[in-house]
Amino acid sequence: MKAGIGRRLWGAGVALLFSVAATPVWAETCVIDDADREVCLAQPASRIVALSPGATELVFAAGAGDQVVGVVSFSDYPPEAKQRQSVGSHTRLDLETVLSLEPDLLVGWVTGNPHEQLEKLQRLGMSLYLSEPRRFEEVATSLERLATLAGTRERGQVAADEFRAGVGELRERYADASPVRVFYQVWDEPLMTVNDEHLISQAISLCGGKNVFGELPRLVPRIGEEAVLAADPEAIVAGGMGEENRDWLDDWERFEELNAVRRDNLFFVPPSLIQRPTPRLLEGTRILCDHLETARGRH
Amino acid sequence: MAATDPTSPTWLAAGRMRRLPLALLVMVALASLLLAVGMGSVTISPQALWAVLTGQGDPLHRTLIFELRLPRALAAFGTGGLLAVAGALMQVLLRNPLADPYVLGVSGGAAVAALAAMLAGLGGVAVSGSAFVGALASTLLVFGLAHGTGSWTPTRLLLTGVVVAAGWGAMITFMLSVGPTEKLPGMLYWLMGDLAYSRGPWPALGLLVIIWLALVPLARSLNVLARGPLQAAALGVAVQPLEGAVYVMASLLTAVAVTTAGSIGFVGLVVPHMLRLVLGNDQRVILPASILAGGTLLTLADTLARILIAPEQLPVGVITALLGVPTFLYLLYRSR
Repeated sequence: MKAGIGRRLWGAGVALLFSVAATPVWAETCVIDDADREVCLAQPASRIVALSPGATELVFAAGAGDQVVGVVSFSDYPPEAKQRQSVGSHTRLDLETVLSLEPDLLVGWVTGNPHEQLEKLQRLGMSLYLSEPRRFEEVATSLERLATLAGTRERGQVAADEFRAGVGELRERYADASPVRVFYQVWDEPLMTVNDEHLISQAISLCGGKNVFGELPRLVPRIGEEAVLAADPEAIVAGGMGEENRDWLDDWERFEELNAVRRDNLFFVPPSLIQRPTPRLLEGTRILCDHLETARGRH
Repeated sequence: MAATDPTSPTWLAAGRMRRLPLALLVMVALASLLLAVGMGSVTISPQALWAVLTGQGDPLHRTLIFELRLPRALAAFGTGGLLAVAGALMQVLLRNPLADPYVLGVSGGAAVAALAAMLAGLGGVAVSGSAFVGALASTLLVFGLAHGTGSWTPTRLLLTGVVVAAGWGAMITFMLSVGPTEKLPGMLYWLMGDLAYSRGPWPALGLLVIIWLALVPLARSLNVLARGPLQAAALGVAVQPLEGAVYVMASLLTAVAVTTAGSIGFVGLVVPHMLRLVLGNDQRVILPASILAGGTLLTLADTLARILIAPEQLPVGVITALLGVPTFLYLLYRSR
């Protein structure tokens, strides 16, 4: 028994020696993903399939866009992502197409992809990194970790540092700003907002705002118009369907008694810039901060 | 009764008449499975398919066929067969053409339990397990309530089932309204029925074989039961035990089907009717034919769901209805 283990250790040692000699820069690399699992790759990922539009953006931003071979529908940023092979929608993956791309790394979405399909892909020997940043800092660490797996550490580090610096700058600028009470509208029918656990709400507080529905227990609560009238926010911020559509905001003009309406504090932020946990969130947060600064000047 | 006398030549002829449609259906079923294995969003040529089936071929093709397509095709076949035969049994039991396991609240109970498990943060096997428990609990509830203090009649059972199903429906709507947004897609797809979520074909297929064997001796009593309980009792059939057994059996079949692929409607209602329009109402033919035709329908529908707008995937329930509705209406129209 002992001799067996000894021999195996010996073998492992020799194998290790050889692999180190063969690839001096790259030994097996492991990172922790957003579901607290350890993901290890023996080689830098050269064929990546991203299973959510956000994951696609993160991988491209981490400097590994060239290695992306498959994406899901609505992966519209960066524009090159649209050229990649589609593997279905994030709620129903086409496993055959995923397998036929022969990926060495999948970037999945904890709450977006079906568990059964992710389990099956892992059973078939695929390496899976689960991604779901819930804080600004986690966007930066995701960039570092994905870059580590893809062997693009330097470019990932630059992207992560830029993101951190941008967030730090905003935090400093609005640290002492007078608070603005904000209602963020995620969806129209049914009317939906976010609580303080959500990245959007964290963006609001970064800009010196206060989410009027931050205390609600659910991450994306469904509310009624009455609740908005009762909360009487100083500013209403909405995304909307499409990147230009202000219909949802115009709808609030019916309620003259709202402070936000009287002061004309109805603001649009393109949804793709603030609803995806990716480096573009910084751009969306900057726009949001500018709007809230405008709101501060209106009484 | 002369036709059932084993020594008479007409019995032999009748036996052949029964076997011919079943033999045809077996062939169609095998063809549907072959089609399901051969087609997918990755094109595999017939030669490559043959190479894989004979034990060689490209490793990627082997994985696609043995790990993805074959288990899913078998799960589809098993689920479709279970649902169709469960529907056929319910229609005999209740002597009502609209009866199927969904109308009686079995799948509603399964759905409520499964969604509750998802809301509690459980996943995978726990969801399937609670779906199974929910289906059986709903069965017992309906059965117990229909029994009540008075007499047990099919009408009471049907009415109790419909009302309990409505209750489950309300609970499903409630859970979808209060459920966290990030869990909604999974919950909705489970309600639509989707074989992409199935974990393996074996429970469904195993039960299908068992039920086939169990129905062989039962089919003649069911033939008598289909004409009405009084006639059946007069002919020496123990009506109440038989009805109870049929009800529990149909519920068990539905529970396993729902556990495999979520709640796929329509198959249990329409497949037995289609077969009756073509083959007549002999349970010795209809029950096994339901297994074969239900399995075939769901296998074909799932294949289309996989490839129709590939790489996007459709839920199979859409296709079963799109295929089944015109076929059924055509048969019904022609039968007048």
